[in-house]
This record gives sequence, structure tokens and C-alpha cells, in this order.
Amino acid sequence: MTLVGSDRVGTQEQRVIDAALRCIARWGIGKTTLDDVAREASISRATIYRLFPGGKDALLEAITRTELDRFFSGLAQRFDEAPDLEDLLVAGMVYACRALACHEALQFVLAYEPEVVLPKVAFHHADRVLTAISAFAAPYLAPHVGADVAPRVAEWVARLVLTYTLAPADNVDVGDEESARRLVRTFVLPGLESTVKQ
Amino acid sequence: MPVDLTVRERILEAGFACVARYGLAKTTVEDVARASSLSRATLYRYFPGGREQLLRDVIAWETGRFFGRLAEAVAGAPDFPSLLEEALLFAHRAVEEHEVLQKVLQTEPERLLPQLTVESERILVFIRRFLVPYLEREELRPDVEPEEAADYVARLLLSFIGNQGRWDLSDPAQVAELVRTELLAGVLVNTPSDP
Repeated sequence: MTLVGSDRVGTQEQRVIDAALRCIARWGIGKTTLDDVAREASISRATIYRLFPGGKDALLEAITRTELDRFFSGLAQRFDEAPDLEDLLVAGMVYACRALACHEALQFVLAYEPEVVLPKVAFHHADRVLTAISAFAAPYLAPHVGADVAPRVAEWVARLVLTYTLAPADNVDVGDEESARRLVRTFVLPGLESTVKQ
Repeated sequence: MPVDLTVRERILEAGFACVARYGLAKTTVEDVARASSLSRATLYRYFPGGREQLLRDVIAWETGRFFGRLAEAVAGAPDFPSLLEEALLFAHRAVEEHEVLQKVLQTEPERLLPQLTVESERILVFIRRFLVPYLEREELRPDVEPEEAADYVARLLLSFIGNQGRWDLSDPAQVAELVRTELLAGVLVNTPSDP
């Protein structure tokens, strides 16, 4: 995928980013300082400023970018391995749910600093998330459902992942393959048939 | 002010008016006391947690009112698909036209959204309970239970009320298509045919 091509960060940047993610998972964004990150990465403060001249904000931007790259390349791999539409949808949902639910830094921020992340992704700003996911996934869905409806289908499945991940249900766990498959077979595939039929 | 309002409601209504005027950050207990013509002591008796609790409860109260209005608006729908269509059209418009919500989303999203996220669990339960009796009257596809279908439909409704994405939820034809496909194709044996 082009996302992980030439603009991929260098290994030293990645080391700082990984250290920062560990700090955020422990203390949150507000309390993490560049000193903490330097210590965690065993790197000098001067080096961090050389790598991220914009300081903490630039580091946070780089983290968001590289984590999204990582997410989408993982998703692409699951899509590439799926033999048919049902498996593609199930694998995509399971991967996305686990990536969100197991992301320790993200989970810390959602639990203790929701005011930092929610304004970027709620109501009108949800466009950002839904559009990014559906633009990315649509080409993989197009051979199965047609290029015209693929973006909508991708957005539909993204909505399901978000709702079942962020507000867990009693009896549906889209991070569990069997549960995700039942959801796809029960509610999504019949809907796809009626969408594609038109 | 209508006489049948309880004291608690009178305070909440005044609190909502203050938020509309001053925003979440600047509204104080004194403002709400003045707006409700009650003493600070009375406010603290009803909201011992003070400002924080009062604002939290104002958000919960207005959210409840919003979904109460929605439920009322769609209750007379002739069948289940039409009920969902009306719900999406009504709620989409109501969110866009909710001046206080839009103002606070614009100016203080960091104060409102964490609270709304907490509320959303309660809202899901509310929508689910509202939908179950309707689903019990419909012929559902094999292996689909009313509770499960209600949860699925409630989640998508809430998702679309928050953001319409690639759909135009002010267009009845698109709303009908959305309901027929994504919301109900896996739920009902007979979904409405193409318009």
C-alpha cells in the first residue's frame, strides 16, 4: 500500500514513537513529557528535538500517522488473505476491533482523557474516520459487491466495528471470529444481497 | 413557567437555558439559581455534587428529552420500516436544528462529548426497549431474535444520527433505501420493495 511507502519513518523515529506510546499507555497524553519519552527510549532530549522539531505536538502527529499506517497495512494483509466476501468482512472486523481494543495508549486516552480524542472523531468529525476507512476498504470490496456500492458497504461495516467496539454488547463481540461471522451472516450479507440486487 | 414542573425539572430547565446562553464552562450554580428563581441552598439540596453534577444532569436530561421527542414523533408510523425512516429523517433534522447542541459542539466539544459518550449506553438501551415491541409484531428471518435485532438496529440508528456519512438523510428516498438494505434486510422476512 502507498501509505507505508516512501514516507515511512526511520528506525530512530519509530523508537521514539514506540516509547511515547508506552508512556501514553501509562500516564496519558497530558502528563507525558518529552523528558519521559527520551528516558523511555534511552535517547537524549536533544535527539528527540532534532527528530521532531515541533516538540510534543509534532511527535503526537507522527504517532497518529504511523499508527494509522500500521493499522491500514495490517488490515490490507487480512483483506489480501481472505478467500471470499464473507471471510473478508469477518477478518476485517475482527482485526479492526482487536486493533482498537488492544491499543493500550488509545484505550488509556479514551478512558481517562476522552476530551482529547472525541472532539476529533464525533458528529461531523466522524466523517474523517468513516471516509478514511471506507476509501481504504472499498477497492477490496468492489470485486464482490460492485464499485458503485463498495464505499457504502465499507462505511456500514466500519460503523458496526465502531459501535460494537466502543460500546460492547452483551452477546456480540466483533473481536471474536465466531461472533463476527454470525453478525456478518445474519445482518450484513442479506443486506448486501438486497443492495447489490438493485 | 408551567406549574406542574417539579423543582428538579425547573432547575434542569434553567440549567439548560444557562448552557444555551453561557456555554458549559461558564455556567455557574449562581446563574442557574437566578434563572430558576431558587436559592443556591435549594440547588445544592437537589444537586449535592454542585456545578459538575448539575451540568452532567442537564446533559442527560436534554438527551432524554431529545429521544423522548423522537419516540413521540415516530410512534404513529404505519409499519416498522416507515417508523425507522421517520426516525432517521426526524433525528437527522433535529440534530442539525438543535441550536444548543450545535453551538456547544462548535465551541466546547471537549466538555460535551465525554459526557455524551457515557449517555450513549443509556440511549442504546432506550432505543432498544422502544424497538422490541415493534419487532415482536413483525415476521423476523429465521434465527433472528427481537432483542438481538433491536440492538443491531439501535446501534446503526445511533451511528447514523451522529453522522450521515455517505448518505443524505434529508432525502426520503435515500433514507428508505438505507432502511430497506442496511437496517432491515437481515431482520425482516419481507422488506419493502424498491420504490
